Amino acid sequence: MELDELQTIWQNMSTELEQQKKLTNTLIMEMTQQKYKNKFSKLKTYETIGGVICFAAAIYLIFNFGKLDTWYLSLSGIFAIAFLVILPILTLGTLNSISGLKLQEKNYSETIISYQKQKKRLLIIQQAGIFCSFLFMLVSLPVASKILKDKDLFVDGQNLLWYIPIMTVFLLFFARWGYGCYKSITTSAENLLTELE
Amino acid sequence: MEQKETAFVALIKEHEGLLFKVSTIYTDHKMEQQDLFQEIVYQLWKSFDSFKNQSKISTWMYRVAMNTAIGQLKRKKRSPISESIEKVVLKQMESQDPVFEERLKLMYEHIGKLNVLEKGLILLLLEGKSYQEIAAISGLTTSNVGTRISRIKQKLKGQLNKK
Repeated sequence: MELDELQTIWQNMSTELEQQKKLTNTLIMEMTQQKYKNKFSKLKTYETIGGVICFAAAIYLIFNFGKLDTWYLSLSGIFAIAFLVILPILTLGTLNSISGLKLQEKNYSETIISYQKQKKRLLIIQQAGIFCSFLFMLVSLPVASKILKDKDLFVDGQNLLWYIPIMTVFLLFFARWGYGCYKSITTSAENLLTELE
Repeated sequence: MEQKETAFVALIKEHEGLLFKVSTIYTDHKMEQQDLFQEIVYQLWKSFDSFKNQSKISTWMYRVAMNTAIGQLKRKKRSPISESIEKVVLKQMESQDPVFEERLKLMYEHIGKLNVLEKGLILLLLEGKSYQEIAAISGLTTSNVGTRISRIKQKLKGQLNKK
């Protein structure tokens, strides 16, 4: 196959496509309505539910913060609250800015640059989120145990003996996986950005 | 049907092939292609009011379609039951010529190896757009378009010679 043949094949394909119009009036309008509904339900499912759960948990912790009566439990509580509030806000903010791009106003290269930058930002947040999630898992058990059962696991720490090694294995696994994803995606994004800017 | 809807439907029907080609070039599987096609129609509908005839209608359509495709790339769906794109192309085209089908497959194979920017530029070139028109859609300068397209040609030539 020669280079010029690509053009010929493309033209032949275009001619055949022109002769095979398949869309009907109803189908076109259904497409737009269906897409609108899908978008709405996706937002509801992923963003709203996730955010509400995190904020509800943070509010519960704030109302019960007085039960965390030592400095290390208070510190764990502050970290847990910050995690439950800040991470969803950062993630939702980035996702909203990605979906809020006005596609008709930007040209092709500007859109590529915007998406690559936002993709990088989202990945950095996700990577930070993975590490913070581990710390959150580590502090959430002692905090929950103190609030729900009035038991200080840092003092009476039988459960921490198995909890910490398991969490460490999780950390290594998540860190390796998270860093792998981050590295490969950001490298390709970086290359394209360097070429365009 | 309202006047706006009638005009929109007529526009989509007229440029059905354009939307099909854009959605095919950026995807690997049938599910992705159909989803992207619908997403493009939806984005065109959303921005239909803001199109003020400042550019050619096809320029506006390419811009929205290609920009939508970039956004869609980040959330590719992998489905075990999804059909490969070659089947979609052939099904849509109802081609009976096995030689042509084979060539079509090869063409998509080569284009599939290009990066997102290169795919956009080669799409416009194959659509018969001039460097000026490609520059208007892509936001690159005309000379930059020329340089990049000659690089893409080299790259494709290299790929084609390997075969």
